[in-house]
Amino acid sequence: MSYARRALAVAWKDLAVERRSKETLNALVFFSLLLLFVFQFTLGGDRERLAAVLPGVLWLGFVLSALLALGRTFLVEREHDCWEGLLLAPGDKSAIYLGKLAGNLALMLVVEALVLGLFVVFFDIDLGRALPGLLVVVLLGTLGLAAVGTLFAAMTANVRARELLFPVLLLPVQVPVLLATVKATEALLLGEPLGAVGHWVKLLLAADVVYVVVSLLTFDVVLEA
Amino acid sequence: MVKTLGWLTAAALAAGLVMAFGVAPREVTQGNVQRIMYVHVPLILASYVAFVVLAVASLVYLVRRDPAADGVAHASGEVGVMFVGLGIATGSIWGKPTWGTWWTWDARLTSVAILFVMYLGYLLLRGTIDDPERAARYCAVLGIVAALDIPLVHFSVYWWRTLHQPPSLMKPGGFTGSSSILWPLLVNLLAFILLYVYFVARRARLLRAQAEAIA
Amino acid sequence: MPDHWSFVAAAYGLTAAVLLIYWRRLATKEREVEASKRLNAERSREPSITGHPRSEPASRTPLQQNQRPGAPLP
Repeated sequence: MSYARRALAVAWKDLAVERRSKETLNALVFFSLLLLFVFQFTLGGDRERLAAVLPGVLWLGFVLSALLALGRTFLVEREHDCWEGLLLAPGDKSAIYLGKLAGNLALMLVVEALVLGLFVVFFDIDLGRALPGLLVVVLLGTLGLAAVGTLFAAMTANVRARELLFPVLLLPVQVPVLLATVKATEALLLGEPLGAVGHWVKLLLAADVVYVVVSLLTFDVVLEA
Repeated sequence: MVKTLGWLTAAALAAGLVMAFGVAPREVTQGNVQRIMYVHVPLILASYVAFVVLAVASLVYLVRRDPAADGVAHASGEVGVMFVGLGIATGSIWGKPTWGTWWTWDARLTSVAILFVMYLGYLLLRGTIDDPERAARYCAVLGIVAALDIPLVHFSVYWWRTLHQPPSLMKPGGFTGSSSILWPLLVNLLAFILLYVYFVARRARLLRAQAEAIA
Repeated sequence: MPDHWSFVAAAYGLTAAVLLIYWRRLATKEREVEASKRLNAERSREPSITGHPRSEPASRTPLQQNQRPGAPLP
């Protein structure tokens, strides 16, 4: 089986499992609704304060959902005793990484679209001209989160205190992505063009390249038998 | 050999202490509280050395799978986290009387705080994996990811604090360039780097002995 | 500006305390490892006790050696 087909097989399997059980998706949707309500309770009345904190709150929602989704990346393999199968898989294990990354990316983007939609409706935001730029930033930021998140999920999969260790490891490393996405989103929502946040976009691109390349190169090491 | 290094380090630290209080002058604007700089700056810089060594040792381990490299990485991580934690604490103690606040989210402080948490995570990962070979492998990967992340952290935080925003509070310890401030600083820097090497040598030796005792 | 010597003392004191504690922990752990190594070495040098004492004539005590089956006790 060629490399690309193996990667696709992993992604397809994960998405098929998800489509049937919808476990993670349900949890994330529910969680996003909860976030929405809490933000409404605390900030809904004051429109100015809401507008000021909205970019941060939006990405907080994205990141918390990402932690949930990424933390469960290898849950199926762990719970159903397939972990050894992963370790003994022949060939370049980085294909597994790409498959997992693609699956995670798809899941996260779906949830983010949902959260964004809910925010727009319930907080009456005018996306208008900001949307294309916003899509670019969201895509690049999500890739950054998912790239390292998938690698760290593999590393913490079989470790004590996994649920605690995974965010503790991931979040400090992701600070550049968080800063870049929030500041860029903030500027875009204020009506600035994508060019004005070019430096943040370049940082996100650089981060994505570094994260994906390093993860591809080291995934084999993490899944050594 | 480690013993001689130990004595050398102790001598250097003593010399540094003498210079910090005997040779260095009373600073013009801040007064004697500025003397905290003679531990604060060397601690931070020595921790940078620790993290660079950690990154290199991690890479060496991944390539050659030599437990000695892992031992150096492990020891470097411990000493590095200890030094940067002390650096943050002493910086905070210095900041309170001079800036009026224990903490501020300026570029340098934020970056160092992120560094501290990242490498604390490194030690936590070490602590949670029982199998020494797996711990070595995983921590080597984390060490490399963290090292590559540092420039990204630096730029993102710097841009966050400086773009569209005036630079924040004046930093304590402006360098007048006078030698009576520079020399105590250099001596203390050397002393703390020696201390780092001594601690790593001793800790790595202990790790080797512990591994042999189990085997 | 006043000198704030208490802050200077706090900074230097904290640094010295933490470094000393780490140094002492190293020394303690080294002694522990030394002790456990010596213990392991001693254990490996002890003769192995195989089983029934009578299988090794030299290991019988004088009392045991004097006693013959059926002989009345003195």
